[in-house]
Amino acid sequence: MKSLLIACFLFVVTVNAYATPEQDRLALRAFFAQRFPDLDLNEMINGLYAFDEGAREQWLEMEDFPPYEIAIEEGEGLFSTPFANGKGYADCFENGGIGIKQNYPRFDTGSGEVITLEYAINQCRTDNGEEPLPWLTGELAAISAYMAYTSRGNKMNVVIPDDPRALAAYESGKEYYYTRRGQLEFACENCHMQSAGNLLRADRMSGMLGQATHWPVYRSKWGETGTLHKRFMECNLQVRAKPYEPQSQVYRELEYFLSYMSNGMEMNGPASRR
Amino acid sequence: MKHKLTILVFTLLTGLVLCTPVMAANAAEYESELAKARTTLLDAESKVQLWSTSDILLDDAAAAAASGDFELAVKLAIEARLHGELAVATAEREKTTWQKSVPK
Repeated sequence: MKSLLIACFLFVVTVNAYATPEQDRLALRAFFAQRFPDLDLNEMINGLYAFDEGAREQWLEMEDFPPYEIAIEEGEGLFSTPFANGKGYADCFENGGIGIKQNYPRFDTGSGEVITLEYAINQCRTDNGEEPLPWLTGELAAISAYMAYTSRGNKMNVVIPDDPRALAAYESGKEYYYTRRGQLEFACENCHMQSAGNLLRADRMSGMLGQATHWPVYRSKWGETGTLHKRFMECNLQVRAKPYEPQSQVYRELEYFLSYMSNGMEMNGPASRR
Repeated sequence: MKHKLTILVFTLLTGLVLCTPVMAANAAEYESELAKARTTLLDAESKVQLWSTSDILLDDAAAAAASGDFELAVKLAIEARLHGELAVATAEREKTTWQKSVPK
């Protein structure tokens, strides 16, 4: 009887300590629904423009001639240019690489790794004898922008397969997101959950929901289109934490968790931000 | 006589203690502090908790040492180690506290 009670206790403790990814996602949506009762949560794919009416108007005007348009055009050209061996990007992806951004990052059961779209693009290049492209801006960001553009309107659909390594990768990303770090001791959560919608100097901070749906992004601050990992690095530096290398395991797992949290939300990349 | 000897010894020892910190640091002392800093920073890195300030301090320390200013080099290496120790302390604390921020 005593051991049965202990087993029941341990079961309850374990269940409470480790929520499933889907429980996490639903709890997150409930958190934001309570935090912003008058907001349509699907609007959060637009970042700070979901909260700030004035900034939203300026942003909508910018969308008439969006600054990321050049990246889409450049990306389309690069995407359709064959490699030296005659093959192309379309040969590396399902559906010829069109309308698939919502499935990334994905967990590759063969290698046991999280594969982001940018990682897969460079993997495609090296598999075909081409040099990998720089991760943060330029041609890789442009190809990614084009692929994101072809995925607009689809719903984020990141899958965590029934594989303990996939769950471990998700949990690792989750721990990173909620862990305070850097000299300023800020977690991602401090800005994008606790303080979402609040002013940081002149800008409101975006919320965590929908944060992965609109990349790559043209940021006015950068003056060019860049990838999500460029933003991760910038966030780390802002709290005086040492950034990781782009497409490092730490960042890919962070993106895996972050993207799963936006499952079911509309893909709207590429986007422009201040 | 015995009293005077005690005062003399005390004065000499006090002088020695007071003078020690202002004695010029040397390359060996810098290398020793640098090694301690690197060990601590490796520990912080293994816990996914390095600060962006650490590398800057170590670079500045190396520049100071290269110019022969070992006093400044030692000071900066010690500061880098302290930054590492604080990062490790954050890592230890966050091991259990991060879960409290996850919405249930």
